[in-house]
Amino acid sequence: MTANALPQFIRKADPAVLTAFGCIILLLVIGGIYSRSFLSPEYLLQQLKVASFLGVIATGMMLVVLLGQIDLSVPWTVTAGAMMACAVAAYGPVGVALAIPFGIFCGALIGAINGIGVAYLRIPSMIVTLATNAVAQGIMVIYTGGFSPQDSATDAMRYLATGTILGIPNAAIIWLILGVATVFVLGRTSFGRSVYGIGNRERAAYLSGINTRRIVMIAFAASGALSAFGGVLLAGYASKAAQSMGDAYLLPAIAAVVLGGTSILGGRGSYMGTVAGVILITLLQSILSVMQMPEAGRQITYGLLIILMLLLYGRSPAIR
Amino acid sequence: MEGAGPLFQMEGISKSYGGVRALQDASLSIRAGTIHAILGENGAGKSTLIKVMAGVVSPDQGQMMLGGNPVQFASPAAAMEAGIACVVQELSLIPELSVADNVVISNPPQRFGLIDRTAQRRIAEQSLLRAGAGDVHPMALVKDLPLSRRQMVEIAKALTRKPRILILDEATSALTASDVSKVFEVLKRLRSEGLALLYISHRMNEIAELADECTVFRNGRNVASFPAGTKSDGEVVQLMIGREYQNVYPEKPTAQADAKPLLEVQNLSWANRLHDISFGVKPGEILGLGGLDGQGQRELLLALFGVLRGLEGEVKIEGKATKLDSPASARKKNVGMALIPEDRKTEGLMLPMSVRDNLSFASLDMLTVRGIVDKTKEAQSIDEMVKLLAIKTGALDSPVSSLSGGNQQKVVIAKWLMRHPRIILLNDPTRGIDVGTKQEIYLLMRRLADQGAAIVFYSTDYAELIGCCDRVLVMYNGAVETELLGDEITEHALISSALHIRPKENQPRERVSR
Repeated sequence: MTANALPQFIRKADPAVLTAFGCIILLLVIGGIYSRSFLSPEYLLQQLKVASFLGVIATGMMLVVLLGQIDLSVPWTVTAGAMMACAVAAYGPVGVALAIPFGIFCGALIGAINGIGVAYLRIPSMIVTLATNAVAQGIMVIYTGGFSPQDSATDAMRYLATGTILGIPNAAIIWLILGVATVFVLGRTSFGRSVYGIGNRERAAYLSGINTRRIVMIAFAASGALSAFGGVLLAGYASKAAQSMGDAYLLPAIAAVVLGGTSILGGRGSYMGTVAGVILITLLQSILSVMQMPEAGRQITYGLLIILMLLLYGRSPAIR
Repeated sequence: MEGAGPLFQMEGISKSYGGVRALQDASLSIRAGTIHAILGENGAGKSTLIKVMAGVVSPDQGQMMLGGNPVQFASPAAAMEAGIACVVQELSLIPELSVADNVVISNPPQRFGLIDRTAQRRIAEQSLLRAGAGDVHPMALVKDLPLSRRQMVEIAKALTRKPRILILDEATSALTASDVSKVFEVLKRLRSEGLALLYISHRMNEIAELADECTVFRNGRNVASFPAGTKSDGEVVQLMIGREYQNVYPEKPTAQADAKPLLEVQNLSWANRLHDISFGVKPGEILGLGGLDGQGQRELLLALFGVLRGLEGEVKIEGKATKLDSPASARKKNVGMALIPEDRKTEGLMLPMSVRDNLSFASLDMLTVRGIVDKTKEAQSIDEMVKLLAIKTGALDSPVSSLSGGNQQKVVIAKWLMRHPRIILLNDPTRGIDVGTKQEIYLLMRRLADQGAAIVFYSTDYAELIGCCDRVLVMYNGAVETELLGDEITEHALISSALHIRPKENQPRERVSR
């Protein structure tokens, strides 16, 4: 019985998720051979903390990708979330208290605009989100150009991003809570079912009486809010918000979702896959930087490895 | 040289998908210059058989011989190369390209590495003529053609490859009666040219007219082969379903209940496609929509279901004017409408999703408490529906695409019945499914009507309209041409009003108002 249980469990799992976890183990082994300190608990916890920021952002990206859409406004939504949270903290104790919710709210607003463009105006998400990204960038530049707003993070932001409870980084706990919630929402709520349904066949979902526009709208707003929340945490981690702090998160967020086995065409994918993808990307970045490769070489290796891993998934035998 | 020996032979072919055996030790032998009909219920293995022949699917076991030599097809292209071409049920044309582009798509004529458009057009014209569709302009875009013309283009496309074996899978199910006879002439000519044709259809009369040889499949095996015309329809059907075949249509109630209409439509018009349509449906009544294909029947059903924008006229539910502007508002409790859409693969189902998720998808609002799915309630409702419709599925968690066509259609119907709708719109629900399932659907429709549902039923099959409906509206050019009641519903009346032929003595019931 028990001998049978494990293969059964593995057989049921998505091969892409297994591949991703396999790659993680491989990376750890390579890292461990390079240097013993790779396998130390301190290093692993540090990586988990860094991964959590990407994890929060990739969660929103996954929702949108499941719909068969994409959110390219991540970079400046992250930045806007961070900057607005820090800026509002300048307005007395009320501002400090509202910093985090306000940052997230700004992201949700950007996401909602994306959602209106995609769901109601029927503009391809690739265009609309790129455009809002540019607009958000412009607004942030104007905002910081004229005078200098407060850009240092509040204590609460710092606590969430860098604090620990019983040695576990708070950021990781936040990601865990968010992940459990996402798994629940995707698997057990009508919203989650509708997301998969729309991603598979929007027409059939619409004819089934699903309010498809509302679902798309909510998913984009959630993606924006989560990106901004990621930005808030990043600002806490770095103690301050900075322009272009979100630039480094677009490709990793998409890569993490896709490496985790979520179909870029929508309708298929599990959250465990995204978790695996996020950890994989984070470890990869970390190992490349620890090996003290020059920046250019690191970028090339990083890009090539992502292509290589995606090819690996494409090799699974076609069902004929 | 090929003499009397078979052109193509397969022996001991087996194929399983997951745990489901689609083909089991199947054999088939086809001679050149004959039309060979394959009969069988959906799920009997016909589609898999064709996919094996056309190189789409590789068999687990068994061997195939073409012209006496063993063959193996690694891909559809390899099968095509060997001379096996396939015209499938699902249209494979690219809508944005012209007819000529589509016809030569697999092997376009080239000059200096570029497509030679003059030659392409010439080839396309020849193929279209050969397929009996000379009236289709080769430069027309496929998306502008009606469904029946597209099917003819599909046949032309297959002929371009100069096949030795032509497989037609439900190739006539989308065609109008006049096109069908045209296709038949073409097929007979191809037979006399020495091609072997494999013909699959659910229409018995077509098989009787065309076929030389028949092979019946059941549960993945070939159960009988015989020369056409040596068995009666009843015997053939019995071979197919393996049980006694009774009268397919349930009895109609003799007297109509004198109730108020549940759904009433007044002066409904839409763009240039629907003109001034008025009618009512009472609870317990099955109202048929007849007429030639593409006369506005589909648009009418979509309009009722709230899909079309810019409608004129009024829709009343239980006498109250109701605005239906989306499927979401049409399915609400106070309206209680359901639409079984035309194309189950793109409109009815999310194919990669599980049977379970598909079944509960239209009822999520009823199965959730504050947005969270009540698993127990969901399981109960699904169980009830699987039993009610006798859906044959290995596991509820397997993707709905793994079911046979008839069972997929049952899932589409079941997902709506789960809401217990009062008004049920059916858009050609029996297209491309087997006799057994068809009969189950007829019985179900009548049972639902007896339980008080108002049913609007569009069918391209006149026999169904005659067999199932209490009343039929025949549509022509977006308007109601004639209303036929009870015994007036005859094949003759249906066809003559569909063709817009009016009797000489212009009798009162010529155009319906009210």
